[in-house]
Amino acid sequence: MTKPLDIVAQNVLWNRLISVCEEQANALMRAAFGAIVREAGDLSAGVFDASGMMLAQAVTGTPGHVNTMAASVNAMLKIVPPEQLKPGDALVTNDPWLGAGHVFDFVVVTPAFLNGKIIGYLASTSHIVDVGGRGWSAESASVFEEGVTIPVMHLRRGKQLNEDLLGIVTTNSRVPHEARGDILSLLTCNDTGVSRLIHLMDEYELRDLKEVASFIFGRSAAGTKSALARAPKGTYENCIQLDGYDKPIELRAKMTIADGRIDVDLSGSSKAVNRGINCPLNYSAAYAAFGIRALLTPEVPNNQASLDAITITAPPGLVVSAERPSPVSARHVIGQALPDLMLGCLEQALPGEVLAESSGALWTMSISGAGQTPFTSLNVALGGMGARPELDGISTTAFPSGVGAVSVEVSETAAPLIYHSKRFAPDTGGAGKYRGGLAQRIEIGSAIDEDMSLSAAAFERLTSGPSGRQGGKNGAAGKVTITDGTEINDKGLYKIPAGERLVLQTPGGGGFGDPLQRDRKAVARDLSHGLITEKVAQTVYQMTKIQTEETQ
Amino acid sequence: MVRIAIDIGGTFTDVVSETLNGISSIKVLTTSKAPAVGAMEGVSRILQDLSLTYQDISTIVHGTTLATNALIERRGAKTALVTTRGFRDVLEMRYEKRFEQYALDIEMPEPLVPRPLRLEINERVLADGSISQSPKDKDIEDLAQQLRSLKVEAVAVGFLHSYRNPANEIYVAEQLRTLLGDEVTVCQSAEVACEIREYERFSTVCANAYVRPLMSRYLAQLQSQLEAQGFEGSLLMMLSGGGLTTIDQSMRFPIRLVESGPAGGVALAAHVAREVGSSKTLSLDIGGTTAKICFIENGLPQTTRHFEVARAWRDVKGSGLPIRVPTVELVEIGAGGGSIAKIDTLGRLKVGPQSAGSDPGPAAYGRGGDEATITDAHLTVGNIAASGFAGGMIELTPAKAPAVIWRHIQEPMGMEDVKAAAAGIVELADETMANAARVHGIELGLDVASFDLLVSGGGGALHAARIAEKLGIRRIIVPLNAGVGSAVGFLRSPVAFESAISITQTINAIDVSSLTKRIAEQTNYVRKIVEEAVPEDRIETSVKADMRYQGQGLELTLDIDGKIELKDLETTFLRHYEAQFGFHLNGIPIEVVSISVSARELREEERSAVVQTTKSFSSANRDIYDLKLQDHIDYEVFERSSLSGALLGGPVAISEDQTTTLVRPGWSMKKSNDGHLVLDRNAL
Repeated sequence: MTKPLDIVAQNVLWNRLISVCEEQANALMRAAFGAIVREAGDLSAGVFDASGMMLAQAVTGTPGHVNTMAASVNAMLKIVPPEQLKPGDALVTNDPWLGAGHVFDFVVVTPAFLNGKIIGYLASTSHIVDVGGRGWSAESASVFEEGVTIPVMHLRRGKQLNEDLLGIVTTNSRVPHEARGDILSLLTCNDTGVSRLIHLMDEYELRDLKEVASFIFGRSAAGTKSALARAPKGTYENCIQLDGYDKPIELRAKMTIADGRIDVDLSGSSKAVNRGINCPLNYSAAYAAFGIRALLTPEVPNNQASLDAITITAPPGLVVSAERPSPVSARHVIGQALPDLMLGCLEQALPGEVLAESSGALWTMSISGAGQTPFTSLNVALGGMGARPELDGISTTAFPSGVGAVSVEVSETAAPLIYHSKRFAPDTGGAGKYRGGLAQRIEIGSAIDEDMSLSAAAFERLTSGPSGRQGGKNGAAGKVTITDGTEINDKGLYKIPAGERLVLQTPGGGGFGDPLQRDRKAVARDLSHGLITEKVAQTVYQMTKIQTEETQ
Repeated sequence: MVRIAIDIGGTFTDVVSETLNGISSIKVLTTSKAPAVGAMEGVSRILQDLSLTYQDISTIVHGTTLATNALIERRGAKTALVTTRGFRDVLEMRYEKRFEQYALDIEMPEPLVPRPLRLEINERVLADGSISQSPKDKDIEDLAQQLRSLKVEAVAVGFLHSYRNPANEIYVAEQLRTLLGDEVTVCQSAEVACEIREYERFSTVCANAYVRPLMSRYLAQLQSQLEAQGFEGSLLMMLSGGGLTTIDQSMRFPIRLVESGPAGGVALAAHVAREVGSSKTLSLDIGGTTAKICFIENGLPQTTRHFEVARAWRDVKGSGLPIRVPTVELVEIGAGGGSIAKIDTLGRLKVGPQSAGSDPGPAAYGRGGDEATITDAHLTVGNIAASGFAGGMIELTPAKAPAVIWRHIQEPMGMEDVKAAAAGIVELADETMANAARVHGIELGLDVASFDLLVSGGGGALHAARIAEKLGIRRIIVPLNAGVGSAVGFLRSPVAFESAISITQTINAIDVSSLTKRIAEQTNYVRKIVEEAVPEDRIETSVKADMRYQGQGLELTLDIDGKIELKDLETTFLRHYEAQFGFHLNGIPIEVVSISVSARELREEERSAVVQTTKSFSSANRDIYDLKLQDHIDYEVFERSSLSGALLGGPVAISEDQTTTLVRPGWSMKKSNDGHLVLDRNAL
C-alpha cells in the first residue's frame, strides 16, 4: 500500500505541473507581440520528464501545439543529446517538421537540473510575427520562400545568449525588435517554469520525477481507455472535400477503434500542392487527435500517455503529410478541417452524439497597404460552429480553433482601415432541430482612400458549406467579393482598389436533426430576431402563420 | 453620535454600529422584494440596543448585492441599445471565441439587450477621433418614436470610438433624454466606461442602463424612509473599487456598486494591515463555498477595470458579462468549508468547486449531507472540535464525517487510515488556495513570498499556516472580529472616485500640453464627485498610467503624478519591465494605453476598541493528525478571549466563536495591541 503522503503528494504534484504550464502559457500570451497572436493563444508550454516524456501541457487557443510539442522535444534531444547539456543551456528551432508546422512557430527547450542531474525539461512555443520570406500568404512555392529556418541549436549556453542566432533572425525579420522580444520571452518563460519545478520538488523532497510520472501516465492511460470504450469497436471511413488553392482537395480518413485505442490512416487524401496550404503530419496529427479527444476524452489532461492512445498516420507527400520542401505557411487551412473529418467517422460509431460540421479553417484577413502608406493588418473573420446534440451551434465562433476576433476599434487604431459593418448574416446557420451557428458579413474599406492588397489564403468553404447531421441542413457556404465586381474564388493575392470595399461572408455551421422538429418557439424567436427570414421559416421549417402568432 | 454600516447580502443583512464605545453588530434576514424594509429593521434594532435615535446617526455606509442579483437573475429594466449602423450585433458576438477548448457543450450568456431592441443610427467617429458622419435630428426623432413604441425603460447609447470623441454619443443621448422624458433612463457609453474595445464598453453601458431604474428606485426609497425616521446625516454607498460615493453618483452609475460586499471585506483587511503595520498583505477570505484572494500593498488593495459578472456556464471564467469599472481585484476559488472532495474519473483526488453549501451542508451537520466536505475533513483530523462550531449555532455529529470520508475517499484511494485521507483533503484544499495565490501573484508581477498572509472567514485561520508554508510566507495575521468583515470594512473606507481615459499613443507622439490638460480636467471631475461628501482640503488625488511596448498585450500600471515628463515615463517603464522579465527591449516604441485618475478622502485611522481581558488561560488539549508525520500532534488549546500578550509557540490552537487558528509546529503567535493575532514563522 502506498504511503499516504505519497498518494496525496502525487495528486498535488500533478495539479501543480499542469498549473505551471498554464501559468507559463498565460505569461507568454500577455508578452506576445501582435494582437492576433494573443487572441489566437498561438503558443503553449509543457513540462517533460528526464526521458523527454510529456507530463503536462497548457490548454491554449490552438490545439495545434498539443502533439507537436511532445514530438519536438524528443526530436531536439536526438540532435543535441542530454549529456551535452549544461545548467543554463536552452535549445531552439523553428523547423516546421520538428516544431509546430510552419516557420513562424519557435520552440525553446530548457533542461531543469537538480544536484547536477537533469530531472526534466520545460518547453514553450510561440508564433513570431515575421521571420522574413513572403510573410503571411500561401504564395510561396517552397518552404525556402517562407522565411528563415533555424535548425536545432543552442539559444543560450550557460549564461551566454546566442547573439549570432538572434542576429540572423532579427536581420531576416520585418519586425526585428518584436521577434527578439518574443524569443527572449520563451527563454524567460522556461526559466520561471524551471525554478517553479525545482521549488515544487524541494517542497515534497523529491529527487526525481519518476514516481509522479508513472502516477500521471498510469491514471491517464486508464482514464483514456475507459473513455474510449464508449465508442463501439470497428473501422469507419469519411471524406471531406475542400476548395483547395485553385482546385478541390480531398481529405480521407479510415479510423479503427480498438480496445482502448484509436488509429487513423489518412491515406487517399490529395497529394501535396505547390502552394502554402500543405500541412506537415505533426500538425495534422495534433488537430485530428484534438477532434477525437474533444468528443471522447475531454477530461483527460494532455500528456504522453493520453496522446499515445491515438495515432494518426499517412504516407509521405500528401496534403496532410507534406514533406520538405513543400510550402506550409497556411497549414491551418488543412489542419483545422481534420477535426470535422474525424467527427464524421465517429458519427458512424456513435450516431446522434456528434456535433455537425463547423466553418472549419479560420479565415485570416491579411490586408496590407498597396498605395503610399505601408501597413499590414491581420484579423480573423469567424463563421458558425456546428449545431450540437441538444444545443444550437454558437454563432460567429471558431471550432476547432479557439481564436477570437480583434475588436473593430483596436483594428482601426492599428491600421488605416474602416469597418463599415460587421453583423450576423441571416439564414446562414444550417437549419435543423438545433440550428447551426450563424456566419457574419463584414465590409471593410481603406480609411485613407488608397489601394490595398489582400491574401485570400485562408478563405475556405466557398463552394460548399459545412454539412449537417441527423437530417440537419448544411450551413451556408462562404462568399467573398470586392465591390468593383471581383469575386474571390481561389487563395491568391487580390487588390482592393481605393474607394472600393471588401465584402466577406463567412460559412455558417451545419444544422443538427430534422428542421421540422425544431421547437416552434425557437423558430419564432429566430424569425423575430432576424436570424432567419420569413421565407426560410415557411419553407424550411414549415412554420405557419398561426404557429408564429401562437408563439408570440 | 454613531456611524452605521448596512451590508445587504443574498440571505442576511448585516448592520454594524460604531460609537466611541466600540463596535456592535446584528444580522437580520434580507427582505428580497423590498430590501429597504430589512435594512430599516436592522438599523432600528441596533439603535434601540444602543438607546440612540436616527438623529444620532452621523453617517450611514451602505453596500448591496441588489444590482448583481438583478444581473444574475435578469430582473433588470427592459433596455434598448442605440449604436453605430452596422454594429448592433457586437453585443451578441462578444469575443467570438470559446472559453473552454475541450468542452463542446458550452453556452454563451444571453445579451442583456435582445436583438430586436438593438437599434442602429447613421453616425461615425473614426479611430483618430475625427467625425466622419454626424447624427441627423430626423433620425434621432425616428429612433425616439421607435423606442417609445417598444416601451423600453432604459436606453444605452454606445457608438464606435466614443472613448476618443464622445460628441456624437453625447448629442444623441441628450436628444433622446429630451424626446423620451424622465420615465426613460438614458446612459452613454463613454461616460460609464471611457475605454477602447467596443464590446466591453457596450456591455458595461448596457448593464448600467439595465440596473439603473431598479437601483434608483431602491436608493430613493431607502433615503426617504431614513429621512422619515429623522435621519439627517450623510448616506454613502460602497463602490466595487473600495471607496465610497454619494447617492447621486450611485444612481447615475449603479454598475459601480456590483462588488460592494467583497470590496468591504477587502477594505477591512486593508485597515487591519495598516493597523499592524503590514505593507505587503495577501488577504485570504475562506467562507462556506469559496475562498477569495486579494493583494494589498501599503494598505491599498489591488484594483482592476476588468471584471466579469453573472457567469452563465458552470461559473467558468469567460462565460459572464464583462464590466469595465474600477473593482477590487479578487480571485475567487471554488474551495470553502462546504466544498466537496471526490475521486474523479481518472482516480485523482479533487476538492471543489462543487459545494454542499449550508443545506444540506457537510455530512457532519447531520442534515442529510452525504458528501465528504472540507469541514468533515477538519473534524476528522481534529482541526476543529465538534462542540461550539460556528459559535454554537450548528451542532456537529462527529461520527458522520469519517464515515463519508471512508466511503468517498479512503477506500477508493486505498489508504489505510481515515485520518490520513482526511488530512489529504485538507492538504489538497491548501494546495488549491496556495496555488491560486501564487498564480495571481505572478500575473501581477508580485513575489508572493514577501507578503504577509491576512486571513478571514470561518476557514481562514484553519488553513493559514500550511498555505503560508507552501508560499514561503513568514507572517500571518488573524484579525479581530473577522465575522462581520464586509460591513465593518464599509466603515473603514474613504470616499473615493476613479475614472479612466483611453490614450493608445506612443510616448513620442504624445502632445504633452493637451494630455496634461485632459488629466487636469479628469482630476477636476473626480475631485468634484468626492467633494460632494468631503471637504476640499481632505482630498488627495493620484494618477496612474497603463503602459506597454507597442504591439505587446502586457500592460504595466505605473504611478505618475499629474505632470507628464516623457523621459521619466520611459525610464520608469523600462525599470519596471526589466524587474519583471529580466530583460528589456530596445527599438520598440512604448505606448501609453490609458490613464486613470482617482480622488480619495484622506482619513485618520480609527482604531477598533479592544476588549481587554484579565482572565487567565483556560487550556485544554487536542490531538491533531499530521500528514507528514503520519501521527498525531498534541495541540494545546486556548480561548482567544483569554489570551494575554505573551508569545506562544506552536503547536497551539486558538479557538473562538467563528473559527480556530492553528499555530503549527515551527510557528509562534502573539496578540497585538489591537487584538489581532500575529503568527511568525520561527527562524530555521
